[in-house]
Amino acid sequence: MCTAVADERASGAPGRAIDGGPVQEPRRPTELERIAIWFDRRTGFGRYAGTVLRKVFPDHWTFLLGEVALFCFVILLATGVFMTFFYTPDSRPTTYHGPYAPLDGTQVSAAFGSVMRLSFEVRAGLLMRQIHHWTALVFLGSIAVHLARVFFTGAFRRPRDINWVVGVGLLLLALAEGFTGYSLPDDLLSGTGLRIAYSAAISIPFIGPWLASLIFGGEFPTLDLISRLFVFHVMLFPGLLIAGIGTHLLFVFVQSHTQYKGGTRREDNVVGQPFWPGQVFRSVGLLFMTAAVISLIAGLIQINPIWLYGPFIPYAVSSPAQPDWYVGWLEGALRLGLPIEPTILGVTIPAPFIPGVVIPTILITGLLLWPFIEARLTHDRAEHHLLDWPWESPVRVATGAAAISLFLVFTLAGGNDVIGVFLNVPVESLTMVFRVLLVVLAVGTWVAIYWLASARRRRGEVERAVETAPGGIALRRTPDGGFQEVEGSPGGQPTQGGPPA
Amino acid sequence: MSEEPPRRNPGLLGRPAALVPARSDAGIPENPAAERLAGLAFVAALLAGIGLLVVYVLGGQTQIEAVLLTACLGGIGFGIIVWAQALLPNAPVTEVRHPLGSEESAADPGDALAAPAITRRTMLVRLMLGAFAGLAAALAVPVFSLGPAPGRELFVTPWRKGLRLVDETNIPVLGAQIPVGGLLTVFPEGYPGSADGQTLLINVGPGRLQLAPDRASWAPNGFVAYSKVCTHAGCPVGLYRATLESLICPCHQSTFDVLRGAVPTGGPAVRPLPQLPITLQPDGTFAALGDFPEPVGPSFWNVHSGG
Amino acid sequence: MLAAGERLRPYAALLAVIAAMLGWWLVEQADASRAASSVGVTQVASLDTGRSLYLQGCAACHGPSGEGSAYGPSLVGVGAAAADFQLRTGRMPLSAPGAPAVRQSPAYSEEQIEAIDAFVASLGPGPAIPNVVASNGDLARGRQLYLANCAACHGATGAGGTVGGGFVAPPLDRADSRTVGEATIVGPGPMPAFAFDQQQLDDLAAYVELLHHPPHPGGLPVAEVGPVAEGFLAGAVGIVTLLAVARWIGRGAR
Repeated sequence: MCTAVADERASGAPGRAIDGGPVQEPRRPTELERIAIWFDRRTGFGRYAGTVLRKVFPDHWTFLLGEVALFCFVILLATGVFMTFFYTPDSRPTTYHGPYAPLDGTQVSAAFGSVMRLSFEVRAGLLMRQIHHWTALVFLGSIAVHLARVFFTGAFRRPRDINWVVGVGLLLLALAEGFTGYSLPDDLLSGTGLRIAYSAAISIPFIGPWLASLIFGGEFPTLDLISRLFVFHVMLFPGLLIAGIGTHLLFVFVQSHTQYKGGTRREDNVVGQPFWPGQVFRSVGLLFMTAAVISLIAGLIQINPIWLYGPFIPYAVSSPAQPDWYVGWLEGALRLGLPIEPTILGVTIPAPFIPGVVIPTILITGLLLWPFIEARLTHDRAEHHLLDWPWESPVRVATGAAAISLFLVFTLAGGNDVIGVFLNVPVESLTMVFRVLLVVLAVGTWVAIYWLASARRRRGEVERAVETAPGGIALRRTPDGGFQEVEGSPGGQPTQGGPPA
Repeated sequence: MSEEPPRRNPGLLGRPAALVPARSDAGIPENPAAERLAGLAFVAALLAGIGLLVVYVLGGQTQIEAVLLTACLGGIGFGIIVWAQALLPNAPVTEVRHPLGSEESAADPGDALAAPAITRRTMLVRLMLGAFAGLAAALAVPVFSLGPAPGRELFVTPWRKGLRLVDETNIPVLGAQIPVGGLLTVFPEGYPGSADGQTLLINVGPGRLQLAPDRASWAPNGFVAYSKVCTHAGCPVGLYRATLESLICPCHQSTFDVLRGAVPTGGPAVRPLPQLPITLQPDGTFAALGDFPEPVGPSFWNVHSGG
Repeated sequence: MLAAGERLRPYAALLAVIAAMLGWWLVEQADASRAASSVGVTQVASLDTGRSLYLQGCAACHGPSGEGSAYGPSLVGVGAAAADFQLRTGRMPLSAPGAPAVRQSPAYSEEQIEAIDAFVASLGPGPAIPNVVASNGDLARGRQLYLANCAACHGATGAGGTVGGGFVAPPLDRADSRTVGEATIVGPGPMPAFAFDQQQLDDLAAYVELLHHPPHPGGLPVAEVGPVAEGFLAGAVGIVTLLAVARWIGRGAR
């Protein structure tokens, strides 16, 4: 530090303010400024820093949802690294000896034993594990909320359709991360989940048995499985996630963020706070708040008590048997699946194939391609930097709401045994209700939301027309193609809402 | 909120480094109350951090650790956010959005991206792509080292004629161990805990089973044995409702009628649980008469081909 | 710039949540320290008292000599264990024929239950009331027995669950050693019977006793019904709080 200050004193030419302000008395630079100067002398980064650090980002709170997901990922990396120091990715049996008496002397896999040790013998190990698990649940949740924001505001339109594709890829990777991580403790509950995943894999016609054998290393359960899941979970998927997140953020930077309509915001400008210091302060604050909220939940609410579930034994099972929430919709789809298993020309279509493979593939493909589907429907291939309000595109908002209703019913069906006990209803009746609800609710939601959004959009058009018209009179297109005069009240509000008789 | 012109305060790193002008306070909000609040939050974070260290050294307690960690992280976050909201210039800044896409490519995309030296040799380009496809095919072969060919492993289990029914510790099971209305998970002798050989031995009492005629001899004295692997998605069919003699899978609620050959009566399963042919031996143990007549567990495309 | 009320509101809410969680946790801790007591077994009872109580409360459905009727099964040969389990857990007598048999506080006194038990046992040979002593049991063996035989319906945590058709495997939080032993050898209602020996019953009872207050070093044991509750909390507490935080951070924006 001393040498840096000496450099500065030797060559500095203090006394001039470059922004044209009044020339004032020179003063000693503050400590932080000296660090910046020291760094700049060695890298010359000040030349580039200006363009990067002054880049403007709109600062609406809904734009922070993706950041919550990013910060969850940071927490996951930090706690995950801690846990790898104690985890043994090995299915081979060992005998557990430790402070948890009911399992003492029991044969467990090395993986399960190491998670028991992490939970009971490593100081703060249980806290780290619970933060990791809770963060995973919140990670997927924040991705879902971020996705919904992007979808309903039309932020995915050109030029950001490319980043939408990256984002959906990240969602799939996060799901894969979650599922593989959920399985690593090798407890009874997660083993059951893997068994179902294996069954879904072999249900694919022709290639299923081969595919399952290649992924699992043979017929379930295999000794290789845990070590493979470990490599997926700590190397392959996180590596892809980091690359994907980098790409995602790079696109946000290159394309500049979208913004809501109103004020001075236009298609050809960006209004907000500069990256430094405004956005950085807010984001770092959010990082710490995210970590704070999650560590509170994680330390006070127990999650996945593997000592009660016990090690995975292929012939044992616990009820209720559920995966983590983000896989619940797949579990629900399997529960709602119809008992149909036709054999056509010697090829059997197993019952889990349609709900467990085909329907998820269709839904995910639809999600991935939505920007291009919508562009084809609307013939709108222009660049958009101003966001829509949800009602401005009735087809989009209706489709999104119907998709959410599908997801909700599937997820609820995944917990039908718990709900059945809670409501004191036979689980079979509940399944029938959900099967009907799945279709009725999706169609009903689509129609209702479409109707509501269309009405809201018509009202919005009238308001805009009235606001822009001189003297509060405007022309408006009527549904049958004619023109109609709309009178505005002095306050800019239309005096008549609906279309004329 | 004061109406400052945009970019009045470019911030710490926004100016050439050697020039440090005298402090210009314009655009920096004065707010002693907020400054105190943020400072307090940072102090609280510091204290919580020290507390966390103390708890940790004393042996650790998950809940106290979590509360202190939350206070530490939350204090930092709170302080920084208060700083951002009350102590940073918050006037909106406007930036011009530059059009995306390169000008050159708009003029002549071919020239900008790929020289004619490449683009005009279409035949060679195609041959090169073909060569890459060959390489990809060659590299795909090692994928098949990841797991064995499925072969017949989905069609068979360890059960063989003469193998006795044992419990999970490989001790042969006696009929007296299972009261009427009771059941036990059994395995082929020598394969205790086998994943695909797991079988339920159920005592429904004599004379109550309604099995197909050719299977009547498979269930001595009301003892009937079915595969425990669900034919829907492979979970262990662990739930038994003794009053209705039905087996239920906890994963997707497939229900099977024990008296009528374990045909599915509810849920998404289609195939009955395969029945293991068993016989009662003179010493009171049970032995298999052979493997299951059909593949156990979930279906696959050639499940009905017999392997 | 920072009005006091505006500043405090999100934090007041957060503090309330923390306080509620801590309170819940403390209650759980206190609850766990309370020891469970078990009732000793006495076999002295008057057959006559038992018969008269039986004729008043049970004969309408099970028949005057336990032969059964359209409303209730025969009790000949079910043994004292079955009667004791049903009466002690309040499942019998039913409030009305055909009503679901659910756990209630027992309708009879200790002496009356023993009398009815003795009368039902006299109807025909059946399983006697087992003398289960949880303190003689081994937790590790009990855990293995429980996971292999009971967890499929009652759940690994003993929280209970559905067994389809509207039937429910009840939670085991109030199952004492005696009723655990009785239910295991009898198989009441839809439950299958298990021919466990004395040691196995003791082991099992020891583990079920542990499940009354399972160790929850991780905090509030909401996950006893599994990931459904965890997922709900992640959304209802985690995501909602973080949305509020985001809203608060972004409140200056227009």
